[in-house]
Amino acid sequence: MRAFSFGFAGALAGAIVFVTAAAAAIEIRVPPKIEAGGAFTIQTSGTGSANFYLLGPGVASKRTIQLSSGVAVAPDEVSNAGEYRAVVCAGSDCTSAAFEVRAGKPARLSFFLHPSRVPVSLPNAIDATAVISDRYDNLVLAPTNIRFEISGGSSPASVKVVTTDRGIAWMRLASSSKAGAVRIAAVLGDIQEPRIIHQVAAEACGLRLNARANGKKTVFDTDPVRDCAGNPLPDGTIVSFTKVDASGKTTVDAPLKKGVAQVELPLKGAARISVACGVVVGNELSLRGAT
Amino acid sequence: MIDSRLKDLVAATVLLAAATGAWAQNQPHVSLDAEKLGPRPIEQLTGTNIVRSYALAWRDLANALSQNRPELLNEQFIGFAKDQFRERISAQSHSGLHVEIRDQGHRLKAVFYSLDGGIMQLIDDAQIETKVFDGRNLIYSDNAPRRYLVLMTPGADRWYIRSMQSQPGPASSSF
Repeated sequence: MRAFSFGFAGALAGAIVFVTAAAAAIEIRVPPKIEAGGAFTIQTSGTGSANFYLLGPGVASKRTIQLSSGVAVAPDEVSNAGEYRAVVCAGSDCTSAAFEVRAGKPARLSFFLHPSRVPVSLPNAIDATAVISDRYDNLVLAPTNIRFEISGGSSPASVKVVTTDRGIAWMRLASSSKAGAVRIAAVLGDIQEPRIIHQVAAEACGLRLNARANGKKTVFDTDPVRDCAGNPLPDGTIVSFTKVDASGKTTVDAPLKKGVAQVELPLKGAARISVACGVVVGNELSLRGAT
Repeated sequence: MIDSRLKDLVAATVLLAAATGAWAQNQPHVSLDAEKLGPRPIEQLTGTNIVRSYALAWRDLANALSQNRPELLNEQFIGFAKDQFRERISAQSHSGLHVEIRDQGHRLKAVFYSLDGGIMQLIDDAQIETKVFDGRNLIYSDNAPRRYLVLMTPGADRWYIRSMQSQPGPASSSF
């Protein structure tokens, strides 16, 4: 039993591997590079029958062949990119040759956009990553230009072209100043993978507290809460009202409804009432209720 | 800050690699170089998990190829890589083949880590001795350096191999 191994570089240089076995000389001729899913023929020399093996990332086939006749390799035997080896065994003497299968033309785009919601006017807030593969899901390593098309929001539509490095292209961009949906698509020829990202208002800006009497209680509400670019904060955003009086400190949280937060607080004696939303603090009122 | 993290990571990697050799003989030695990784910097814990998951993946792959048991791939492989190796094992089982791998270690170099932390691309320079058997007959063997381009994605408690593509390297071969 003998087995032989050969470096890929040798196979590349000559595309022919010669092996002298004890009883007979067998030659295997393989193309140095194949595109994934491409049919081709492996040539052998010698006489008589032999076992032929094809070993690769997704294949390990065995068949009996007549030496000196071509061995047809089907497209689905070489659909995975990577290193392959053809082995021919005549009796106990084996010889082999290596060849490389490379990814075919780009056919698929995997597109990852992050995050799904982002505050407006934030630098480097959005990141996009595209991975390109051929129709067999092999990573396409040849540098390829990916177009990232951005539309919607307050900025005019724009395109950013990024060349893949080892099959991956990525970019990041700032969110625009206007809340709403932004469409970002990764485009490669006819392949288009669109995603939607929602830009939401940033922190509140100019938070303002008002008070008015309502029977024995006092109603406190805010002006419509907006960020510094004028985008209304979404309903449900929590606004905190804090009262400090002789009895201590009381905080009541209220969600925005139609852009405004409102609470009723009883007042006895002198009290200071303030309002906050997230990290933003609004104005403070000093009032005196009935004692 | 990042330099300090990288030093910690290297130290952790070396420790893990050493420990790995002591814990289980069939778990290969894996080291990770994340010095030029971007655009996202790597956390120490992430680096440790990558090394651990990759070593386990190769242990499982070697056992799966040797015993023709595709179910051994379920723990560390996912997506295209899992499908590809399952096909390979199914085919070699059908043909009466199996592969013995003597794994002599992997030098991983992380080259891309997406900003959202969802994808990491690595280059693996490995030294692997391979023997392919048809029944009991050895039909091919080699002991050559190999290079793989690997995509990994995080799961709840591990990193999965999503794609592993052999590359023309210093020398290369297939198993």
